[in-house]
Amino acid sequence: MNAISSATRHQHFSIARISAISSNTLLELIRLKVFYFMLIFALVIIGSSFFLVKLTFQAQFQVLKDVALGAMSIFTWLLAVLSTAMLLPKDIEDRTLYTILAKPVPRLEYLLGKLIGVLLLLFVAISFMSALFVVVLYAKQQSAIAELVARSGSDGAAAEIRSILSETFTWNLVPGIIFIYLKAALCAALTLLLSTFASSTIFTIMVSVVIYIIGHVQPIARDYVVHSHGASSATIVWLTLESLLIPDLSAFSLVDDIAAGTAISMNLFLQTAGMGGIYVIVYFLVGYFVFWFKEL
Amino acid sequence: MPSDRAASPFSVSTPAISIQNLTKEFSIPFKREKVTAVKGVSLSVEPGQVYGLLGPNGSGKSTTMKIVLGLVSPTAGKTEIFGRDSADVESKEDVGFLPENPYFYKYLTGEETLHFYGKLCGLKGAKLRDRAKELLNLVGLEEAADRRLGGYSKGMLQRIGLAQAMVQEPHLLVLDEPTAGVDPAGSREIRDLILDFKKRGITVLLCSHLLGQVQEICDRIGILHRGALIREGRLDDLISIENQTEIILENASPELLAEIQSLVAKTPARILDQRKPHTTLERYFLEVTGSK
Repeated sequence: MNAISSATRHQHFSIARISAISSNTLLELIRLKVFYFMLIFALVIIGSSFFLVKLTFQAQFQVLKDVALGAMSIFTWLLAVLSTAMLLPKDIEDRTLYTILAKPVPRLEYLLGKLIGVLLLLFVAISFMSALFVVVLYAKQQSAIAELVARSGSDGAAAEIRSILSETFTWNLVPGIIFIYLKAALCAALTLLLSTFASSTIFTIMVSVVIYIIGHVQPIARDYVVHSHGASSATIVWLTLESLLIPDLSAFSLVDDIAAGTAISMNLFLQTAGMGGIYVIVYFLVGYFVFWFKEL
Repeated sequence: MPSDRAASPFSVSTPAISIQNLTKEFSIPFKREKVTAVKGVSLSVEPGQVYGLLGPNGSGKSTTMKIVLGLVSPTAGKTEIFGRDSADVESKEDVGFLPENPYFYKYLTGEETLHFYGKLCGLKGAKLRDRAKELLNLVGLEEAADRRLGGYSKGMLQRIGLAQAMVQEPHLLVLDEPTAGVDPAGSREIRDLILDFKKRGITVLLCSHLLGQVQEICDRIGILHRGALIREGRLDDLISIENQTEIILENASPELLAEIQSLVAKTPARILDQRKPHTTLERYFLEVTGSK
C-alpha cells in the first residue's frame, strides 16, 4: 500500500475528523451571516439603556439586566433553532453528505461534528452578547455615578454610589448566562434530532418552536393538575410522559431572579445545569439512533 | 505526480466490487405496498477495470451505487469492496465518490475543500498540503486553488469533485454522471482524467447516460432496466456484430476499390455499406472552437 493509504489506517473514533466537521460547520454558519442577529441584540440593549432615564438608578439597572438577559435568551434560542434546522437538509440536498459519508467517517462523528459546530457558534454568540452587555452595563454604571457626584458631591452620594457598585455586577449574572447557553444548546440538540427524520426545514423549525412553548408552559399545567383533584389518570400519565420527553425550560429562565439580585444556590445551579446537559446528550443519542437507520 | 500508482494491496482474485443477489425495496409512506428499486442484481468489477453501469432513469443505478457506498442498506443480498462488507466504515478507506451534480461548500476555496476531505481521511500537516497541491495540479485547478467554489464553473466543480474523491489515493472510484452539464471541452478533460486513473490501475465504477463516452472508456458494462440487470459483459463482446467485418482504408484508389468489390462479388459475402468515415461531432466541435 502506498504512503498515504498506510498513514490513514481507519480509527473507529477520531477527534480529528470530528474537529474537521465541527470547524467547517462553524465556518458555514458564520458565512451564512447569522451574526446579523448580534446587531439587533446590540441595538436592543444599547437602545434600552437610553430610554430608561426617567427611572431610579436601581430600577434602570434592573430593567437593563431584564431586557439584556431576555434578549440574550431569545436570540441564542433563535440562533440555535434556525442554524441547526438547515444543517442536515442542506447537506443532503447539495449531496455533500454523500461525499462526506462516502469517506471513512462514521455517522456518529458526522452528527457529533455538526452539533459541536452549532454549540461553538452559540458559545461565540453568547460571549459576544455578554461582552456587549457588560460594556453597556459598565458605561451605564459610570454615567450614573458621574451624575450622582455632579448632583450631590462624592461625599453626599457615597451611600448611593456604594449601592450602585454592589448591585450592578452580581455573581448571579454568570449562572444566568450559563443557563441561557444551556437552554439554547438543549434546543439545538432537539432541533438536530428533529431534522434527522423531518421532511423539511420548515417542519423542523415549527415543531421545535411548539416544543419550546410546551417546555415553558408545562410547569403551569403540572401545577394545575397537582392542585386540582379531578384530573384523570390519563392526564397525569400524559403530563408525566411529556415532562420526561420535554424538559421544564422555564427552569433555565432565571432572568427575574438575577435582575432582582436573588442569590442562586449552588445546588439549584448544579441541578439545572445537570438536567440541561443530560437532555443534550439524550436528544443527541436519539438523533444518532434515527440517523443511523436513515436511508440517504 | 508519480506516473504510476503503487500496486493494489489486495489480492488479484479479490474483486474491487462484488454485488451478490442485491435487492432493495422502499416502503411508500402511509401505504402497505413497496417499490422494488433493485431486483436480485449480481455483478463483479475486477481491479483495474472501468465498469459502466447503464440504464434509463429510475432503473436502479443510483440505488445500487448508494448500497455499494454503504449509504443505503440492502433489503437482501450483499455488497463488498475489495472483500470488505461495504456497510463497514473501514471499507470506505479505499473508495472515492463523486455524486451527480454535487454542490460542495461554496464558501471554501478549492484548496480548503481538499484539506477538509483530506482531514476526514486522516491526512494532516505537510502530507495533506502536498497531496492537495498534487491533486489541484492533476485536475488543472492550481490557478483556481485560492478561489471560492461559489465562483467555479460546472466543469471546475466536477474536477474539484474528482480531486476530493482521489484525496486519500483510493483504489476504487465511484463516479455518478461525472460529465453531466459540462461543456464538450470540460467533458473531454474529465474523460481524459478517468483514462489517466485507469492507467494508474484505479478501478472505476461509472454511471452515465452519455453512451458514446462510456463506449470510449469502459472495459465492461452492465445494463439495468427496472431494477434488474438485463445485460452484463465485456463491452467489445456485447457490441460487436459477429458476422460483419469493418475495413478502413487510407488513400485507396478507385481501381483498388473496384477490385475489392469484384473479389467480394465472387464470394457469398456482400458489401453492406461503403462510405467516407466520419469524425465525431465532439472532435469537430473541439476543432472549430479551438479547444485542446
